[in-house]
Amino acid sequence: MNPSFDLKKRFSENIQTYTLLLAMLAVWVLFNVLTNGFYLSPQNFSNLFRQMTVTSFLATGMVLVIVTGNIDLSVGKLAGFVSVVVAYLQANVWNSIFPGQPLVAAALSVSVGLIVGALFGVLQGYIISYMRVPAFIVTLGGMFVLRGGILIITQGKTIPANQPGFDQIAQGYLPPSIGWVVAALVVALLFFNMVRSRARKAQYGFSVPNIYLDVLGTLFFSALVVIYVAIVNYYNGVQVPVLLLAVTALIMTYISSNTRFGRYAYAIGGNREAARLSGINIKRNVFMVFVLMGFLCGVAGVVLASYVGYGTTAAGEGYELDAIAACILGGTSTLGGVGTIFGAMIGGLIMASLTNGLQMLNVPAAYQYVVKGAVLILAVAIDMYFKKNR
Amino acid sequence: MADDIILDIRNVTKKFPGIVALSDVSIQIQRGKIHGLCGENGAGKSTLMKILSGVYPYGSYEGTILYENRELKLEDRSIRQAIEEGIAIVYQELTLVPGMTVGENIFLGKEPMENGVIDWDKLYAETRQILEKYKLDVPPHAIVKNLGVGKMQMVEIAKALSENAKILILDEPTSALSKAEIDKLMAILETLREHGVTCIYITHKLEEFFRITDNVTILRDGKTIITEPTHVFNLEKLVKYMVGREMKERFPPNKRQPGEVIFQVENLVANDPNDTGRKILNGASFDLRKGEILGIAGLMGSGRTELVTTIFGEYGNIISGTVMLNGRPLNIKSARDAMSNGISLVPEDRKGQGLVLIQPILRNISLANLDQFASFFRIDQDAELAASTQQSKNLAIKASNLHARVDSLSGGNQQKVVIAKWLLTNPQILIMDDPTRGVDVGAKFEIYKLMNELAEKGVSIIMISSELEEVIGMSDRIMVMHQGHTGGILDVKDATQEKIMAIATGIEA
Repeated sequence: MNPSFDLKKRFSENIQTYTLLLAMLAVWVLFNVLTNGFYLSPQNFSNLFRQMTVTSFLATGMVLVIVTGNIDLSVGKLAGFVSVVVAYLQANVWNSIFPGQPLVAAALSVSVGLIVGALFGVLQGYIISYMRVPAFIVTLGGMFVLRGGILIITQGKTIPANQPGFDQIAQGYLPPSIGWVVAALVVALLFFNMVRSRARKAQYGFSVPNIYLDVLGTLFFSALVVIYVAIVNYYNGVQVPVLLLAVTALIMTYISSNTRFGRYAYAIGGNREAARLSGINIKRNVFMVFVLMGFLCGVAGVVLASYVGYGTTAAGEGYELDAIAACILGGTSTLGGVGTIFGAMIGGLIMASLTNGLQMLNVPAAYQYVVKGAVLILAVAIDMYFKKNR
Repeated sequence: MADDIILDIRNVTKKFPGIVALSDVSIQIQRGKIHGLCGENGAGKSTLMKILSGVYPYGSYEGTILYENRELKLEDRSIRQAIEEGIAIVYQELTLVPGMTVGENIFLGKEPMENGVIDWDKLYAETRQILEKYKLDVPPHAIVKNLGVGKMQMVEIAKALSENAKILILDEPTSALSKAEIDKLMAILETLREHGVTCIYITHKLEEFFRITDNVTILRDGKTIITEPTHVFNLEKLVKYMVGREMKERFPPNKRQPGEVIFQVENLVANDPNDTGRKILNGASFDLRKGEILGIAGLMGSGRTELVTTIFGEYGNIISGTVMLNGRPLNIKSARDAMSNGISLVPEDRKGQGLVLIQPILRNISLANLDQFASFFRIDQDAELAASTQQSKNLAIKASNLHARVDSLSGGNQQKVVIAKWLLTNPQILIMDDPTRGVDVGAKFEIYKLMNELAEKGVSIIMISSELEEVIGMSDRIMVMHQGHTGGILDVKDATQEKIMAIATGIEA
C-alpha cells in the first residue's frame, strides 16, 4: 500500500477529530489576538487546562452513558454532593478522630468521596436498568434529591475543605524536573507501544502500517506532550488535576475500546436488539455504566472540593450540562452508539477555552452563556450539514 | 361490458435493481365486489398495494391504472392523496394512536372545527353515525388501547370509510384475530358490500376466499396467473395455481449423510411475552439429526420465527414441552445460554436484529464472540482481527477491509457478515431464519454452498424459508408449521410444493 494513499485514508476516517482540533486552534488563535497575546501566555494556558478538569471528569463517564442511549442529569449535583460531604468530613469529623494527621484525613476523604459517588451510581443504575425507569426521569429525580442533600449537609453554609495535602489534588503542581520525567515516560511509552503493536501485527501476518507514518505519528504526539510540559513548566509546572484527568481519560479510552464492557456499551447503543441476540446482558451492562458514572462523579467531587477549597451550597450547579455539551461537541451521538472520550475531552477544552477567553475580554456572564449555547448548536448544525452532503 | 369496473390495472410492471417485483400484471376490480388477492410470500401482492397507495408513485412503474375510468396518478408517498381519491388501506400493523378515543382516531387530522376549536359534539355524533351505518360495534368514546385487536380493526375500517373510501384494501386482516372476531369481520364485510364499497381482500388463509370473496386473482412471481369468480375454484386448485413452478438448477449438489438425532423439541407450547394471553406456539415438535438441514416452511404468522426465537431463549414464555440436546433437557433463558449450548441463530431481520449498522464489519463479526479473545481487562484485538479475517475469507465477504462500516456492504455481503458472526461461535446447531431474504441470486448460491459444507462437517442446520423452492432444494426433511404447531414433517423425497402448501394452509394434516 503506498503511503500517500494510507495517509489519505487515515485522514478521511478521522475527519471529525481533525475538524474539532482545528476549531479549537481557531478559538485559541482568535482569543490570543483579541487579548494581545495574553491568552496563550503560560499562566493562562495552565489555568485554562486546570479549569476544564472538573466537568471533564464527568464528561469521560457521560460519553458511555450517552453511547448506551441514556442520559445522566444528576452528575453535576452528585459531584457537588460529594464535594460537600468531603468538606464536611474534613471540617467536622476527621479532626476529632485523627487529630493532627492531615494526610490520613485527606486519604480518607478521598476514599469516602469515591465510595459515595459509586454508591449513588449503584442506586440509580439499579432503578434504571433493573426496574426499567427511564434514565432521564431517574437522574432528574436524583438531581433534586442531591440538591436537597447538599443543603442538608451544608445547612446553607459554606464549609472549608482546604487542609494541607488535600488542597494539592486540584491546586498542586509537579516540580518541573518531575514534569520532565513524566513527559519522558509518556514518550517512551508511546514508542514502546508503537513497536509492540507492529511486532504483534507482523506476528499475526497482518499488513504492518508504513514505518515512516507510524514514527511520524508517534513523534507528533510526543511533540505535543513535550510542548505542553514545556509551556506549563514555564509557569508552575504540570498541574496535578490535569495529570489526574489525563490518566482517567486514558483509562476510560482503554475501557471503551479494549474491554468487553466498553464494546458492549457501543453495541447496545448501536442496535439494542442485535446486542441482545448476540448474548449481551444489557441490563447488567447499562447498570455498570451508571456505577462507573457515579464513581467518576466521586472523582469530580473530590477534585471540585479541592479546587474551590470549600463545600458550597451551589456546588456542581449546571456541571451536568457542561459535561453533556462537551460530549456532544466532541461528536457523541444523542442517538447512541457513537462517541469517543478523546472527542469529549476536546469538546470540554473548547467550552473551557470559550469561557476563559470571554472572561478575559470582560464579557458579562449573561453573554458568555449566549455565546456558548450558540457555539454548541452551530457545531452540531455544521456536522449535520456535512453528514447530509457526504 | 356488463360489469362495472372501478379499478382497472393494466400491464403494470415494477422493477427494483436486480429483480422484477411485478411483471405485466393486469387485474380488473368490479365495483361493489370483494376481490381476493392470493399468492405466496413474495408473489408481488404488497408491491401492488404500495403502488395503489402511492408509496411507489406514478411514473416509478410501467403500465397504466385506470380508476373510475381515468388514469390514477399518485405522487411520491402521497398516501394522503390516495385516501382523497378514495383508496384506503387497512394495514396489518394497525396505525391508530393508542391513547386517543375511537372518535379522535377516526377524525385525526380532519377534526370538525367551529370558530377555530374542535367541535367535539359534532365529531362524536358523526363517529356514531359511521359506526352505526356499517354496524361496527365500538363505543365512540372508548380509548383505543383498551380495545381488542378485532375492535381496533373496526376503528381502522371506520376511519377509512369516514374519508368516503370507495375501495378498501384489507391486508391480512385476520392474521391477529380470534375465530369470533373473524366471524364479526366477515359480517362487517357483508355490510360494506351491501353499501356498495369495493374491497380488495388479501389473506394467507385460503378458506377465507371462499367464505367472503366474489372474485379471486392469483399472483405468482410477480405475474397475474388467473382471475376468475371465486366459485370456479376449490382449495386444491388455488394451491396449484399459487405454486405451479418448475424447479430450476439453483441449488448446489450435496453429499450429506445425516447422523443420529442430537436435538429434540417436543410439544412446545409458549405464550407471547408481551401479551401473555396469546399463544404463539401450540404444540411444536421436531427432531434434528447431526449434519442435517431441516427446513421449516409455513405461512406468515404460522409461528416459524416464534419457534426458533423461543428455542434460542429470546422470545416466548414456554408453558410446556421439552427441548433436548444429546438426550439432556435444556433450560435456555437467554441467547447466552443458547450459545453456551452450541446453538446459534441467524435472525430474520438482518438490519434490525443481526447487525449494528453503524459499526465496522470487524466489530460485527466479533460481537457475539468477544469471550474468546478477552480477559476481564483486555480484548486481544489482534486475535480478534485474525479470527474475523479468517471467517471473512471463508465466506468470501467482499469488502475493502474489515474496518469499513457494515452498512457500506451489499445485502448479500451483510448477510454473510451475520453468518460469519454466528459461525465464529462454532455452533453445533445453526438456526437460520430466512437466510437468503433480500439477497441476490449469486450470494444466495454461495450461502447454499456454505450451508452444505457446514452440514457435511457435522453442523446441524435449521432453516426457515418463505420460498418453497428453497426449502425443497436445500433440506433433508421439511417441517411444515400451521397455526403454531407442527402440521407435518415431510422427507424431501416426498415433498412437493403442493403438499407443503396443503399442510401450511391446513387443508391436509
